[in-house]
Amino acid sequence: MLLGDVDKGKRLFGLAILLSACASGASVALMGVAGWLLSRAAEMPPVLYLEAAAVGVRFFGISRGVFRYAERLVGHDLALRMQSALRMRVYGRLSGTTLLGRRHGDLLMRVTADVEAVLDLVVRVVVPACAASLVIIGTTALIGRFSVGSAAVLLGSALLAGVVMPWLTRRVSLSADRAVTPLRGELADRTRELTMAAPDLVALGAEEGALQRVLDVDARLRDAERRAARVRGLATGGQVLAAGVAVIGALLIGGRAVADGTMGGRILAVLVLTPLALHEVFASFTSSAQTFTRATGALQRVVEVLDAPPVGSGDSTKAQVDGVHVRAEDPPSLHIEGLAIGWPGHDPVLTGLDLDVAPGERVAVVGPSGIGKTTLAATVMGLIPEISGTVATTGRVRYLAQDAHVFATTIAENVKIGDRDATDPEVAGALAHAGLEMPLDRLVGEDGATLSGGEAQRLAMARVLAHHVTRPSPPATSHAPAVPFPLPRRSGQNSLPAPGSHRCSFSTSPPNTWTPRPRPC
Amino acid sequence: MAGPIDPRLLHRARATVPFLVALCVTGVVTAVLVLCQAWLLARAISSVFATHRTDGLTTWCALLAAVFCGRAVTSWATEWLSHRAAAAVKSQLRGDLLRARLVRPTDSTVPSGTLITLVTTGLDALDGFYAKYLPQLVLACIVPVILAVAIGLQDLTSVIIIAVTIPLIPVFMALIGWRTEAAMARRFRVQTRLANHFADLMAGLPTLQVFGRARAQLKGLRRTEGANRSETMRTLRISFMSSFVLELLATLSVALVAVTIGFRVAAGGMDLRTSLFILILAPEVYLPVREVGARYHDSADGMAAAEAAFSVIERSQTPVGASAPAPPLRRSPRLLPPPRLLPHPPCRPLSPPPAPSPPRATPPWSSRTSPSAIREPALPPCPGSVSGSNPARRWPWPDTPGPARRRPWTACSASFPPDSGRILVGGVDLTGAGQDTWRAWRRRLAYVPQNPGLLRGSIAGNLLLGHPQATPAQLRDALDRCGGRSLALDKEVDDDAEGLSAGERRRVALARALLRVEEGGAGMLVLDEPTAGLDEATESTVLRTVRDLGASVLVVSHRRQVLESADRIVTLAAATTATGEATR
Repeated sequence: MLLGDVDKGKRLFGLAILLSACASGASVALMGVAGWLLSRAAEMPPVLYLEAAAVGVRFFGISRGVFRYAERLVGHDLALRMQSALRMRVYGRLSGTTLLGRRHGDLLMRVTADVEAVLDLVVRVVVPACAASLVIIGTTALIGRFSVGSAAVLLGSALLAGVVMPWLTRRVSLSADRAVTPLRGELADRTRELTMAAPDLVALGAEEGALQRVLDVDARLRDAERRAARVRGLATGGQVLAAGVAVIGALLIGGRAVADGTMGGRILAVLVLTPLALHEVFASFTSSAQTFTRATGALQRVVEVLDAPPVGSGDSTKAQVDGVHVRAEDPPSLHIEGLAIGWPGHDPVLTGLDLDVAPGERVAVVGPSGIGKTTLAATVMGLIPEISGTVATTGRVRYLAQDAHVFATTIAENVKIGDRDATDPEVAGALAHAGLEMPLDRLVGEDGATLSGGEAQRLAMARVLAHHVTRPSPPATSHAPAVPFPLPRRSGQNSLPAPGSHRCSFSTSPPNTWTPRPRPC
Repeated sequence: MAGPIDPRLLHRARATVPFLVALCVTGVVTAVLVLCQAWLLARAISSVFATHRTDGLTTWCALLAAVFCGRAVTSWATEWLSHRAAAAVKSQLRGDLLRARLVRPTDSTVPSGTLITLVTTGLDALDGFYAKYLPQLVLACIVPVILAVAIGLQDLTSVIIIAVTIPLIPVFMALIGWRTEAAMARRFRVQTRLANHFADLMAGLPTLQVFGRARAQLKGLRRTEGANRSETMRTLRISFMSSFVLELLATLSVALVAVTIGFRVAAGGMDLRTSLFILILAPEVYLPVREVGARYHDSADGMAAAEAAFSVIERSQTPVGASAPAPPLRRSPRLLPPPRLLPHPPCRPLSPPPAPSPPRATPPWSSRTSPSAIREPALPPCPGSVSGSNPARRWPWPDTPGPARRRPWTACSASFPPDSGRILVGGVDLTGAGQDTWRAWRRRLAYVPQNPGLLRGSIAGNLLLGHPQATPAQLRDALDRCGGRSLALDKEVDDDAEGLSAGERRRVALARALLRVEEGGAGMLVLDEPTAGLDEATESTVLRTVRDLGASVLVVSHRRQVLESADRIVTLAAATTATGEATR
């Protein structure tokens, strides 16, 4: 599916498999040809007859490393391209579905990690498996020319070591993995809980008990991993036995054939040494089987995200001046009439809403959580369609979330998310309005790591205030962006200063308070 | 390549020494079995070749079968022992890491995200180090010698070829590693930054959508992805180079040996049996060395993870108050905490210096706490402990937000060392004091941070953290008085306190602190924005409850109501300004 997204994807894929097969084939051929060389030499022919085989041995000796190097580069290049393609798909998909007000934190973090499974799947599972199949077929065909019985044993043992054993590992360790995966999740959750609540726990003197909770999970994880390791061990042991079957089988069948005179003596060494080298190829397959389980699980979750029907429109159409939905010269206003709101596919949360917000007016929407305040905001911003009634806005609609994300870039770039056309002086002005004095080119760390909670909140505020003036001197009010809701509710509320501007005066008792009422039921 | 191994890792390895030794023994046994296998195969093939008869073939085959069975057992044992070798160290490090966090709960140099990654997937990288790399390193020194001696007993020329080529492998790899280390480190950093871009975009997706900018980022994302890929490929081209040299040298040497003995057999200088024996063994001689190279990358991840872990653990071992410079971290693009781009805003000492508990206003301990309850090391009895004669004081500290403001309390609750100055409690200097002193102090402290942390479980379970012996009635009463009348005690709290609003979380935390003061005998209450997210009525309830406690209260707030109910207000200003006090 993804190969189509990648430029020359199929060709790269084929090339990677071919190179990988050549690399594995070279090591098998090295042993086979060397065995022939020694046996032929033992017949003491003129040295000239050995030259071709000697050149072959040297060639395979060099080419194996070269092929492997090329294969790894091509395979990784392809896998990285596929990873990029998948990321683009996931991003494209999720950016088109409204995420505001939905529980998205874990989803977004998980998808980010899950996408990376493509690399493992391609590099460690798909390419080696396809290449090994080619090598098995090739080797079996070649051996078959000398001894059909020996070739059959070789094929059988190869299937045993390369297919059956990894498959068994996968089946058996699936239950162990099934135990391990949630335990890992729980370990991460408990660790997170411990680090988040650390100041409380320490102050309360409850740290030992909480630590023990985490260590208990660790102990259970260790047990589950021990079971998985035992299974892995059995599978690798089984592979060694399969190699033994192949070698001993070749020796018995080949020995009889030589004694019967149906096969030349010099072929015997080839028959016996080739399986020995071939089975080296399968050594990594049991761990590949476990990688396969993990990677497909992760990709399954990604596919679920890709297949989920989109909710709403994704991008707000009312936040940026585009000349169609939002014209620069319009004064901001909001008119709501007979509005019913709710998430698409769900029952309406609120019905019969009427509200007018005039330019410069401040209206607080209050109500208990779950009443539909965020849903109303999403509807007003055009993120989700209204169920019935009308929402008419003019001017830009901005939204200040209590948990607005701070991107790991410069202060200026963070502010310009509010208005991509804003000039540096305008950005600086917005920052000053929000009460944040910081150099525009200062980098904020990952997730705003170098900013305090209050500073991050002000930065988010500046984003809302950022605003590019297209005409020389417009009347200030006509361009004041409307910031309908919500007022930052949680911790940030008190850290925000009240700038003396009419654009955004926050106070605990706003001039107009409007309480949505739940629909009668 | 194999850089110096961190001695701390070897020190930790002591816990698993039996397993590591067992792994090495298994490795040696495997080598001996391989030796037998080569000898049996050479013997069987050459005898059939020479005689064209199958006499004794079944015996050879039976012996070979036994050898393969033996190898199956050793490979099973290797997997199992490998796991055991790593598991013990991993668990130990996990515990130590978490303990380190608890010693410095607000240490922001290691973000929670980094710590979680480190505790989960980061330490798993140690499997590569303890289970594979370390035993392989030992085997790479033993196995080639055993096999080379076996070959040498048969043929000297081959062993010379091997003896010359084997040392070339580490030499070449060291050369390559040395030439490219700096470039790789730089590329890894660039790559990490580019790779994080996607995670950052995903996390900020809702914010982008609100501003109608989400889809517009797709173009930028495509560009970054392209840049990321070419940067990664450039790194890989170099890092695969070392394994290329490894494979090339190893296989080429085998080919050299094969061709040399081939011509000597043709010239009659060697028999087929010996030559086959050498041919089968030759790749096995190089195998352990190749494995070391192959495992090196696994181990590098593990060592980087371990280094990050050690730096966190060691930071916590320096006493609070003493400056704890983090040892420089190397390698590990993923596990490093993001670089601090700027230091914290300067935090000036509070003035007058020994703050926030100047001797003249040493917080009165609750009279209910019997001084004898605190042993080791004993804090002096509380001065002015008779309530009434020295009324409890409340000091709100309104100020600009930022780390500077948060510092006094975190310093007070021992999570953050002060830059200078002292914290005196009843004459005992807490700065630089040992963990026991801090623990004793914390037993007399109730603290509600701005974003209280709750554990998964019921509300009652969270309240009991304040005072484990409290009865359900006491829990109910405390919660009621903190405005939590509508909250059921058995209501479940999910991860990240999901299911409770910010205000409800704060009410639970307040009730918890209340229990600690009233039932647990704590004499000092430190509150950070305790009423944020509460409506005015609840705020009044909470403030009344806090005032009625009779304990000393230190509260950070911007709220008018809170400021009004304080006895004194201390205003902190950034940088040079001294404390301004206003007594109400």
